[in-house]
Amino acid sequence: MAWRNLWRQPMRTALSLLTMALAAALLVFMLSFQLGVYDTMKSNALRIFDGFARLQPPGYADDPDIRRTITDPEALAAKAEQMKGVTAAAPRATSYVILSNGERSYGAAIVGVSPARERQVSTLASTVHEGRYLKPGDTDVVVLGDALARNLKLKLGDKVTLLGSALDGTIAVDSLRLVGLFHTGIGDLDRQVAEMPLRRFQQGFAMGNTANTIALVGPSLGAVNDALPRLDRLAKANKLTIEDWGGLQPGLKQAITLDFSTSMLWYVSLVVVVVFIILNTLLMSVLERTREFGMLMAIGMRASLVGRMLWLELILLALIGTVAGVVLGGGLALWYGHAGIAVGAFEGLMAQWGLPGRLYPSLSATSALVGPAVIVVSVAVAGLIPMRRIRRLDPVKAMRAA
Amino acid sequence: MQPDTSDAHAIVTCRGVSKIYAHGAVEVRAVDGLDLDVAAGDFAALSGPSGSGKTTLLNMIGGLDRPTSGTVTVDGEDLSGLSAAHLAELRLHKIGFVFQAYNLIPVLSALENIEFVLQLLGIDAKERHDRAAAALADVGLTGMEERRPSHLSGGQQQRVAVARALVARPAIVLADEPTANLDSKSADDLVSLMAELNARSGTTFLIGTHDARVIARARRHIEMIDGKITSDTTGDLADVVQ
Repeated sequence: MAWRNLWRQPMRTALSLLTMALAAALLVFMLSFQLGVYDTMKSNALRIFDGFARLQPPGYADDPDIRRTITDPEALAAKAEQMKGVTAAAPRATSYVILSNGERSYGAAIVGVSPARERQVSTLASTVHEGRYLKPGDTDVVVLGDALARNLKLKLGDKVTLLGSALDGTIAVDSLRLVGLFHTGIGDLDRQVAEMPLRRFQQGFAMGNTANTIALVGPSLGAVNDALPRLDRLAKANKLTIEDWGGLQPGLKQAITLDFSTSMLWYVSLVVVVVFIILNTLLMSVLERTREFGMLMAIGMRASLVGRMLWLELILLALIGTVAGVVLGGGLALWYGHAGIAVGAFEGLMAQWGLPGRLYPSLSATSALVGPAVIVVSVAVAGLIPMRRIRRLDPVKAMRAA
Repeated sequence: MQPDTSDAHAIVTCRGVSKIYAHGAVEVRAVDGLDLDVAAGDFAALSGPSGSGKTTLLNMIGGLDRPTSGTVTVDGEDLSGLSAAHLAELRLHKIGFVFQAYNLIPVLSALENIEFVLQLLGIDAKERHDRAAAALADVGLTGMEERRPSHLSGGQQQRVAVARALVARPAIVLADEPTANLDSKSADDLVSLMAELNARSGTTFLIGTHDARVIARARRHIEMIDGKITSDTTGDLADVVQ
């Protein structure tokens, strides 16, 4: 009967369904788009250099001191790679040094990397636009961010002098030949980072067979996040800690959190508007049918049952509308997930976050179901208002209603 | 054949029943200290001018309204202590209603309207269908099972309402101005139908009416004025059944 009641006023029901379907579709598509962009932002930003997670000594995040080390990092990296959700691990040693070319000097972070392993965790090698990236067997070579090289007035083949503090407190000095320039589009990396072979770094900085961190990646950021408990156990067993993506890119995490919070306001407003529209429709329906409700109660239908019937009508309406919305919004998200959405004039802005010129919505269970579920639950809760009203209805007065 | 009610037990008993409505500072006694017994198998017309308290009394007997004082007993059950939910149960099991405005459920067919009451009683689908179809046949509407109320005449709708009122085999059917919206022939037919059903099944009818035709055909005529019974006469129903 609830189903038939829905279609007493076909136009009104159709409009209500359309409202809910469009709202649900908008929520599904926007959430898919937003989460897709976040995934791209996180993935791109993290894959350029940081990796999806990092094994490091305790306190290293706050004080990245060269003396905080990991012993036998290659063996530990191999162990990490065996874990589900981790596909590659790369040990790194890092120090802050002065790089000089003649009379020009700049402070920079020099990172010692294993070239073969590094290529698996970082896309930095693919951003080398002049010369080449490090390769296994390299010794006294270095790659620099192109902004840093420009500041030092270096060109390929030039020698760059490195001056820093070694692990044992002595001065670390080295002369390295510039073999490649990278351009990530991320200012901090391009202006301040240099990479050299890990073995040479360990020798120059008296590190022995140690490193400072091990960068980790997996098939996806989610997979590595899922592996965090296991990685945490591995870290603890080696007196280390595990840093997740938020710790590696706190700025990005904050930006995403802020953006998502702002969006939530819009989403909540949308849901509230939809709920009020539906509730208004329902209340109109209740007013129109008051006499009938009185009659139903007179012939022996309990008021609670009459209320539940009305509530069921509302739930049916909400379910049909939101399912249609999920299909519509999900379909759009899937389509644009393949085709992408060109950002056009915002391409430069997007590049700052490591985003490409086309953005891709990512349809997931979360993006497809959370918005519509919130609509259904909100409508169901709001529907308790007319339901309560019916429960208090006096059958005699109701039947006198015009 | 008509039911012999001379030794029948009372289906409805009203004792000292009053209903007072407050309109601002003014109290209106819709029903005023009324005593009434309706015996099983009765076919009674309750008449009186507008405002005499007929509908209020029917509503109190039907558990739709509560008396300000006094007691109403239906089929041995005192209504005064029952909750709204229990009253609904009582109406479902023991009382059938026929309203002036038919009051069928517009989205259900004639058969479904009758089945609906049985559904509330929790009767299984097969029995529901058979009993509803039989009830529809009893009121002469075989072949109209699938018609929605909007595709039935007023007289036909009221017949469906009578079938709905009877299908649960109630102790009493309360009809409030059942002929008021009907043309003369439909009204005659409806009264004949109710009288026939009363004679055939022994179902008790209490009919609130202005209609002289109904009063003329009722075996018992209760007249109310200003919330009080002013006359209560019993006649012969033989001519009604014929």
